Amino acid sequence: MGLNYQMVLWNKYKKAYDKIIAGSMLFYIVVFAAITLIFNSETSIETLVIRAFGSLAIIMLHIILAIGPLARLNASFLPILFNRRHLGVSMFIAALIHGGFAMFQFHALGDVNPVYSVFTSNMDYGSLSNFPFQVLGFLALLILFVMAATSHDFFLGNLSAKVWKRLHMMVYFAYAFIIAHVFLGAFQQETSLFTISSMVIGFIVIASLHLMTAFKERKIDRAKTEEHEGWLQVCHISEIEDDRAKIFTVANERVAIFKYDGMLSAIHNVCKHQGGPLGEGKIIDGCITCPWHGYQYLPSNGQSPPPFTEKVATYELKIEGETVYINPKAFDEGTEINPCKI
Amino acid sequence: MTSGLRKAHTYIWLLLIIIVPLVMFFSMKDLAIFSLENNKMSQFESSKKEHLKTFENDIVKITVFDSQVEIILKTTLKNAASIVYEMDEKGNKSNLIGQVTTAGIYTFNTNKLLKGIIIYDDIKQVEITKFSL
Repeated sequence: MGLNYQMVLWNKYKKAYDKIIAGSMLFYIVVFAAITLIFNSETSIETLVIRAFGSLAIIMLHIILAIGPLARLNASFLPILFNRRHLGVSMFIAALIHGGFAMFQFHALGDVNPVYSVFTSNMDYGSLSNFPFQVLGFLALLILFVMAATSHDFFLGNLSAKVWKRLHMMVYFAYAFIIAHVFLGAFQQETSLFTISSMVIGFIVIASLHLMTAFKERKIDRAKTEEHEGWLQVCHISEIEDDRAKIFTVANERVAIFKYDGMLSAIHNVCKHQGGPLGEGKIIDGCITCPWHGYQYLPSNGQSPPPFTEKVATYELKIEGETVYINPKAFDEGTEINPCKI
Repeated sequence: MTSGLRKAHTYIWLLLIIIVPLVMFFSMKDLAIFSLENNKMSQFESSKKEHLKTFENDIVKITVFDSQVEIILKTTLKNAASIVYEMDEKGNKSNLIGQVTTAGIYTFNTNKLLKGIIIYDDIKQVEITKFSL
């Protein structure tokens, strides 16, 4: 969580993480080059670069797409989620090297603009086996560029979390374009059961993880509850752990009900930073702390502690016997609500 | 995520699990790896069409008929542009017949009796293979 924008926010964990990313990328490129030169020594350096970085970008994209749902299904993956943006930008750089070399090798040596050439050198758009697959790769690269360019908190702050998240969900379409790019391109030229199987299995795994998460979330959204005089029954007090929250759905929106210091407070579950699930975080130093990137909010008013300015909606609670009830009407963001004493 | 984003996420993935497997299936169904035997069997052998000459090496099997030539490319060539030419009387390439790319069967119509075939890489300016009748 930072007040001022800096080019890149590094701490010792992020530095270690980035070293792992850079080292792994370098290791993959070296191994790929060595294997290629052993088994196909006639390969040109341009082709080697195109294939090495193309395959690297695809592997990295699969890892990136798996992190989100894995973190939703198992909290032990959350530390990887903290640093996903650096992995995404690194993947874009690998994809850019692949696309840049491909455009140079196949389109830059003619007498037309290379970008124009990508779209017009093969006009067989009606064919599957001879489809101009490079167009699909170009479109995917454009999406990845927009995502990498807007990955900084400056854009997140100015576009709003909702718009930013919608923009970054375009990665799913980029993934589809890349699969089509590979199947209609590389696999038509050099067919290998290993590479085809890898891509098919990769898609099955990624799609399954995302759908499992989606249906798990849907189940939470559709949970039924009882209503008493305008108040919705949430749960028994003992169901909420100390310094943790119970997530409850009110009018299609999630609310996080935190138990701390013998009190209960409820705030909107969606973090203002990147839409992280606040209710899956915990109370640290008296503040609700988002599990994704550590943004913090005061439980009683949903405001980030000064000098930060983020704030979320708050909700009124009451306890009858041992049962917790919530008023489904949200108060304005940052509204102070007296905590409900247990 | 907000409920709207959660819905969008679900619908996008439901869409992708329909579209992506279709793209995968239709792009793979004609690949040599899944129909290797069929792709290397002559379409004309079973029809008992009379052929004039057959030539075969590690790369291709070429069969010349009256007004057609059938080229069975055994492996995908690494050459970026593999052009099929008619051979003239001096053994040089003359008229262009067509192009071969990935492994498979290629059939080209010809107007006259061929003297021979040359498969030539026009970019690297190297002869890939040739044979004469």
